[in-house]
Amino acid sequence: MSDLRELYQEVILDHHKKPRNFRVPCDANKHADGFNPLCGDKVTVYVRIEDGIVRDVAFQGSGCAISTASASMMTEFLKGKSEVEVARIFERFHDLVTGKSAPEADASSLGKLAVFAGVRDYPVRVKCATLAWHTLRAALDERQETVATE
Amino acid sequence: MIGTAKEKASVLSFVVDGVHPHDVGTILDQEGIAIRTGHHCAQPVMDFFHLPATARASLAFYNTREEIDALMAGIRKVAEVFS
Repeated sequence: MSDLRELYQEVILDHHKKPRNFRVPCDANKHADGFNPLCGDKVTVYVRIEDGIVRDVAFQGSGCAISTASASMMTEFLKGKSEVEVARIFERFHDLVTGKSAPEADASSLGKLAVFAGVRDYPVRVKCATLAWHTLRAALDERQETVATE
Repeated sequence: MIGTAKEKASVLSFVVDGVHPHDVGTILDQEGIAIRTGHHCAQPVMDFFHLPATARASLAFYNTREEIDALMAGIRKVAEVFS
């Protein structure tokens, strides 16, 4: 078992305490809901997308430190990215937290998101780290049904 | 502590202020303490207490005082990580 600090890094705790982009943007043109009923983690992701570029992304909801920090850092990272880039980052983030890729391989392309590498040692927490991401993808695909990752 | 019935069984649901029960569970797990976290298949009572989930320690006759002390130390560690 790895050190707890690998999972609960300062930056994750900080985003949990003070989530960024925690709001409902009035001009969002896409949104989706995510809910893990067993955990009780709930998230709604709002996106404003213009010409295939994410102009704004924000979220609302409640959950554990990992899910809140993941949603918060996702919104910071994806603003200004194209839909194609978002899809690629989603795959890389997924590989990072599930341990399919080496953490150092993602450090450059995922920037700050690389702090979630610690999640790979806690398989039951992968669903927390990926809920906001799957919800974002549902929003972009304009899927109506509530997303779950458990 | 959630639920304070007079004739309470030794199944103790609790929450740590400002910390989601799943984070409590992961940290206690790292300390070698197995508890359950979540809804415990009892969503209506979670709604009743206005809680998203709880942590739950299930004590039995084979648990020792030392193990309860370890649980308390683990809960203090949770508060420390999230302080």
